[in-house]
Amino acid sequence: MPADKTLDLDLDAIVAESRRAAAAIHPGSGPWDVIVVGSGAAGGMAAFQLATAGIKVLVLDAGRLINHRKEYRTMEWPYASPRRSRLPPDHRAIAAAEYNFFDRPYGNHPELAKYKKVASYAGNAFTRNWVVNEKQHPTTGTPYAWVRARVLGGKTNFWGRVALRYGPLEFKAASRDGFDVDWPIGYEDVAPYYDKVDLLLGVSGTKEGLAQIPDGIYQRPIKLNCVEVHFKRTVARMGRRYMPGRCGVTTEGVLNNKYRARCLGRGRCGRGCDINAAFHSPNALILPARDTGNLTLRPYSVVSEVILDPATGRAAGVRVIDANTRRVMDFKARVVVLGAGTLDSTRILLNSRSSRHPSGLGNSSGLLGSYLSEHHMGPRASGFIPMRMGTEPTLDDGRPTGPYLARFRNITDKHPDFIRGYHFQGGGGAQEYPGFAHDIPGFGRAFKSSVRRHYPALISIGGFGEVLPRKENRVSLDATVKDAWGIPVLRFDYRFSDNEIKMARDMADTAEEMLKAAGAQDIKVEREMLPPGWSIHEIGTARMGDDPKTSVTTRFCRLHDVPNVYLADAAPFVSGGTQNTTWSILAMCWRTMDYLKEQMRAGDV
Amino acid sequence: MPIGPAVTRRTALKALAAGAGAVTLLPWLSEEGLAAFAEIQRTQAAPRLLVLTSAQYQTVEALVEAIIPADDRSPGASEARVADYIDLLLGEAPVFLRRRWLSGLAALDAESTSRFGSPFLQLPAAQVEALLTDISRNELLEEEPAPADPALALPRGEEPRLQPPQLDTLLGEVRHPDPRRTPLQAFFADTKQATIHGYYTSEIGIHKELRYKGNTLLAEFVGCETVEGRDCPHCGQKAEG
Repeated sequence: MPADKTLDLDLDAIVAESRRAAAAIHPGSGPWDVIVVGSGAAGGMAAFQLATAGIKVLVLDAGRLINHRKEYRTMEWPYASPRRSRLPPDHRAIAAAEYNFFDRPYGNHPELAKYKKVASYAGNAFTRNWVVNEKQHPTTGTPYAWVRARVLGGKTNFWGRVALRYGPLEFKAASRDGFDVDWPIGYEDVAPYYDKVDLLLGVSGTKEGLAQIPDGIYQRPIKLNCVEVHFKRTVARMGRRYMPGRCGVTTEGVLNNKYRARCLGRGRCGRGCDINAAFHSPNALILPARDTGNLTLRPYSVVSEVILDPATGRAAGVRVIDANTRRVMDFKARVVVLGAGTLDSTRILLNSRSSRHPSGLGNSSGLLGSYLSEHHMGPRASGFIPMRMGTEPTLDDGRPTGPYLARFRNITDKHPDFIRGYHFQGGGGAQEYPGFAHDIPGFGRAFKSSVRRHYPALISIGGFGEVLPRKENRVSLDATVKDAWGIPVLRFDYRFSDNEIKMARDMADTAEEMLKAAGAQDIKVEREMLPPGWSIHEIGTARMGDDPKTSVTTRFCRLHDVPNVYLADAAPFVSGGTQNTTWSILAMCWRTMDYLKEQMRAGDV
Repeated sequence: MPIGPAVTRRTALKALAAGAGAVTLLPWLSEEGLAAFAEIQRTQAAPRLLVLTSAQYQTVEALVEAIIPADDRSPGASEARVADYIDLLLGEAPVFLRRRWLSGLAALDAESTSRFGSPFLQLPAAQVEALLTDISRNELLEEEPAPADPALALPRGEEPRLQPPQLDTLLGEVRHPDPRRTPLQAFFADTKQATIHGYYTSEIGIHKELRYKGNTLLAEFVGCETVEGRDCPHCGQKAEG
């Protein structure tokens, strides 16, 4: 009898391997030059840059190793399991509608507490062994859909692959509209690093020459399908640009990495790409870094704080709680690089309290945790393009991403209701599962033929809008609630402001306007905003700047207060435009590591 | 790293033991049980029911086939074993949802008997049509005005004071139960949504009915042929001048 591959995978072997790897490495196993916390986009890139430069690196990840051959179930059909890709009954993902209504911590709510595992909304049949259990990882304060993955590679195992650059409009946003401050650096500082990331990891797209979304160095683009070509022609007449999605997936292959193959158009990258054409940190960065012989990887290593050398005022290393044995160990190195994700890196710093740094390490400005920003989402529209109604379906979804509609607000004009802007993502055509069928009324032959008539004609777009970086949107350590390892959890104080709410209204209006212009039928418009955090694009809680009184890190992502602690993730970002964040994390991290390498060479750290 | 069979008896037992607190109330299947269930669906063997009696199963088969029937293009929900899928959903659903759904099934027969003098299974096509037309009347309702937006716009420090949504369907959807539907209408709406999910995730639904062409190895994604500078035979759009 064939084993059902959709069930709880037998992870015994990989868990045992992870435990062995953790047990083999202890504070005496060094020495290491640099400790890197985390192994996702930030930690992975930091480890890769340092290890390939001959620097001895210890990577600490809070989760286990990953067996990508077994866990990336890229081509699995839904009928492989009678459960049809639903979660098993003892698992539950928090629904969108619940985030704003259930008290925090979510895992304690009576409706959720009865499940063995409570995952964030991103938990599904394919990701459920990677995303954290909210019961072990509570949050308090205002609603926030905080998606975390504790496994090698973190969220890069299932990221959305949209690979975009910030441009001059982001780095100098304040100069344009007077809100808040500019980044201390400009696009010209980061552009060479975006180029390097494009070449190292591979990115697919088209050069468009738009100021709001600078071009990269692209591999073969993903073509538009029929309804998308129609939509592109429609919005072009409105002065808007709809283009092939830019995605961090190699369509032509990369010669620098033997662990990755080029894209074969299965279109199921969000489950993990089993040939690693999509960028996932384990195969794209960690394994090549390991092959240098300079990388030590310790899984199951929960970092609670950065420890300080009282004699020098510098960081001496980090304190680790072994996730299984609970043994507490202090690992030492010359430099500490935090790449645990914007919010978890911030939490580690906030928890690194000493007499010299009573409110957390690097927090002399009092701003550590403030300026939390991300993208607001929710408004979207869908409809059906008549020219494809009733036609034979074509292969429309065998690709890693859908198209992208560039931001068009507040670029040359000035919107009366809000500053900054938003973009849309989304496309159409025949997708494996006809989700729209749930909205078609009736039954019988008429219903069935209506579903297949609509099937090739669907188009659907959804917006991503800038959340203004505001000081009062912040995280702090909760005074009483702790996680499963006894570490204080984050308390959120984060709400959308009038600017986001007005922008979201415009988003829904323009989505509807464009679908109408395209002659779409049965247009459905969603106007409601999704809960805070939904974008998984959190940035800003240790913002960079040249003045230590108004910023946490330098323009090279080093703490102002401690000269040997660096941030590799998006915590130092000042503002985030509308662009999906991962590609900027990779580029900024590379830039920071180049700076760090130079400091180490010069003997400054 | 080894690529062996994913499931062993040991992990199945371990999974059951680990979740004991949550799962003892539910007769959900072991991993072997699910694999057997999949095999039954694939081979058209006799059903192995968790919840439904064989009489109930026959009624469910007739109901799902009336929702998505066989036609010239493809078999319907009955051959796609959607009734088995609904039985599994019932087996894994919280007790209150299972009870509510089963009383809906009983109400279907009661309504059928009071109107036409015989249970649903024995109705001729015209009477099935008439009955389903009535109970499908409120299946798709405009959502109640969205509560999330005002909640988010509340002044800082204030919490929303609205009724939280609840687990409301066999598919595990979370929403506000809609008081505008009668119990029988709610039963129809729930069953139809589950039928759609069961059918369009089946081999019959994906390959025979929708003729989905993806999830295959492609040298290169093709897209609309106008992108290649040709008129497109699929959509009729002209190549750009």
